Amino acid sequence: MPSAAPAPSGVSGPKGSGRRVVAICGAPNVGKSTLFNRLTGLHQKVANYPGITVEKRIGSLDLPAGQQVDLVDLPGIVGLHPRSEDERISMNVLRGASGALPKPSAAILLLDSTNLRAQLRLVPEILGFGIPTLVVLNMADDLAARGGSIDTEAVARQVGAPVALVSARQGTGMDKIARFLEGTLDPPPPVRLPVLNNIPAERLWAGGVARDAGYRPPEPSLWGRRLDSVFLHPVAGPLIFLVVVIAVFQSIFTLAAPLMDAVDAAVAGSGGWLGAVLPDSILKGLLLDGIWAGVGSVVIFLPQILILFLFIGVLEDSGYLARAAAIADRSMRAVGLEGRSFIPLLSAYACAVPAIMAARTIESQRDRLATIFIAPLTTCSARLPVYALLIAAFVPERPLVGPFLGTRAALLLGLYAAGFVAACGTAWVLKSSVLRSRPAPFMLQLPPYRWPTLRSLSLRLYDRSRIFLRRAGTVIMATTIVLWFLASVPYSNGEPPEIGDSVAGSLGRAIEPLVEPLGLNWKIGIGLITSLAAREVIVGTLGTIYGMEGDEDSPALQEALRSELTFGGAVALLLFFAFAMQCMSTVAIVRRETGGWKWPIAQFAYMLALAYLAGFVAYRMLG
Amino acid sequence: MASLDDLAPGTTATVEELRCEEPDAVRLMELGFIPGVAVSCQRAVPLGDLAVYQVEGSQIALRRETAARILLSETPERGGDERA
Repeated sequence: MPSAAPAPSGVSGPKGSGRRVVAICGAPNVGKSTLFNRLTGLHQKVANYPGITVEKRIGSLDLPAGQQVDLVDLPGIVGLHPRSEDERISMNVLRGASGALPKPSAAILLLDSTNLRAQLRLVPEILGFGIPTLVVLNMADDLAARGGSIDTEAVARQVGAPVALVSARQGTGMDKIARFLEGTLDPPPPVRLPVLNNIPAERLWAGGVARDAGYRPPEPSLWGRRLDSVFLHPVAGPLIFLVVVIAVFQSIFTLAAPLMDAVDAAVAGSGGWLGAVLPDSILKGLLLDGIWAGVGSVVIFLPQILILFLFIGVLEDSGYLARAAAIADRSMRAVGLEGRSFIPLLSAYACAVPAIMAARTIESQRDRLATIFIAPLTTCSARLPVYALLIAAFVPERPLVGPFLGTRAALLLGLYAAGFVAACGTAWVLKSSVLRSRPAPFMLQLPPYRWPTLRSLSLRLYDRSRIFLRRAGTVIMATTIVLWFLASVPYSNGEPPEIGDSVAGSLGRAIEPLVEPLGLNWKIGIGLITSLAAREVIVGTLGTIYGMEGDEDSPALQEALRSELTFGGAVALLLFFAFAMQCMSTVAIVRRETGGWKWPIAQFAYMLALAYLAGFVAYRMLG
Repeated sequence: MASLDDLAPGTTATVEELRCEEPDAVRLMELGFIPGVAVSCQRAVPLGDLAVYQVEGSQIALRRETAARILLSETPERGGDERA
């Protein structure tokens, strides 16, 4: 299925019941998302996973006159010749060929008023789609502050479309956009525009329009260059890059810890309260031991995920991430990829799903496939609860390097490194075999530096929380309920069975011969089955199986594991989780993004083989 | 003829011709590297062989091998004029 939300009922094109689709388009980094957020606020019906800016986002807007408009925030384009998947999405929507959306009944073309001579070229290209278009010149505040000016009415007369000068960040000039959306803004008479597909001629025309509209470009921004001279400094640049990457990882652990403790306490507290007030029944067991413990053990990770996305949001919105991608280009090229793959792979440390979507910005289809293929090997946050439980159970905490690095942290770092090395090695193998490609020219636009706004950052985090909690409330809750049910049947003499006699137990015994070479028993086998839905589910599952609260801090659960597994078996289990693709959301997103089952099946089989082999070797060596 | 990768940081010249395959040339022009337009080299990117170029109001990082395909109309000099 295409990535868009199912078109809301009523969207049937311009002749429909008064609900219209309006597309926001323009070059990258001209403030399309800022304008979109400004216009729709929290009324966004974000389709599936919004990623960063590589997803169509749809938001509804109520106009004073009572009409409703569905705004679509399209990925940036630089012309009519798309090279990457996200650019193709924009083109398809504008052509009315996206499948999920009707052809927009109007478009807002956003241009950067501080770089107008270059950007006006997009006006005839977008007007060529035959959609009524409002040309919006954004960054009016920046233009004025740096001494530039433009006569918008003169531009409108020359392009034959209405023109507004706005600042989406400050919210100035919005009234004209509202009038356009209401349909009460009269366009100027149409004019003859340059022939398309001749970029030099279009550029010449754009220069003429700017000159005749008295365009005074702003003075170049000096502090942008000063920042570049620091962030791209031959010595300081790579050092800052390293510090940023380390800070991102450090924050996942240190900054998130107190917040996670708070969520943990809230879940445990409310569970205890529920246990006290509810009458004893089978349903109570399901609610407390099944749903509350299972979902609760996952919700605890919300702070970590939000902190990681906050970091990535600040890096992206400020313009630094593009510089980081430029610096990373060489290292990425060592494994056959390019600098642009760095951004998805960084966000894969939070979650592979948005990372796989962010790979849409990669122009080379083969590089994009390789990036999608290796993204689930990077250590996502869903592995953390499993790592935390097993490490706490099997590794005594001892200082290794003074007070800085203990045995537990070292093992955790080792697991991160294992995922990283596997990802790099896999990329290298793919890029030197089935996905070998001629090196494409690397062209990366560096956006101007800007302060990230609180508004945009909080909207990102709001989106992420909604997606994460929806997942906890659906996939994870469903798995937990099914497992609880399978562990509670069949009844004999009116009593629920021992776990070994239950349906879940029989399933576990059935796969025991398969997991035995890794030093694992049938109980862990059940956990491996449920963790196919999502990795973190195994913590709650083991809790259910051992009949105790499923929580990675639970000493009783750690004790039970120590009596079931050898040290080698624990390491085998850790490595299995490091490499296996136990995540239905990831399988689903890879199928959607690659347009078929070939890649997700190959990826699943490869990662399973890698995981099994690593677990087998570890158990053989460590016993 | 000089090409963009010969341009020293801090200097400006004018694009003359793009010597690469059609789709790559179109994209370079869409990014602003249009014959007749002034382009300047801002700085090299640390680690690797990228450099940052300024063309009109945009900053674009190109690999050396890509920059070598963009031919310049005169020997690099300070300033430079713009058509249009």
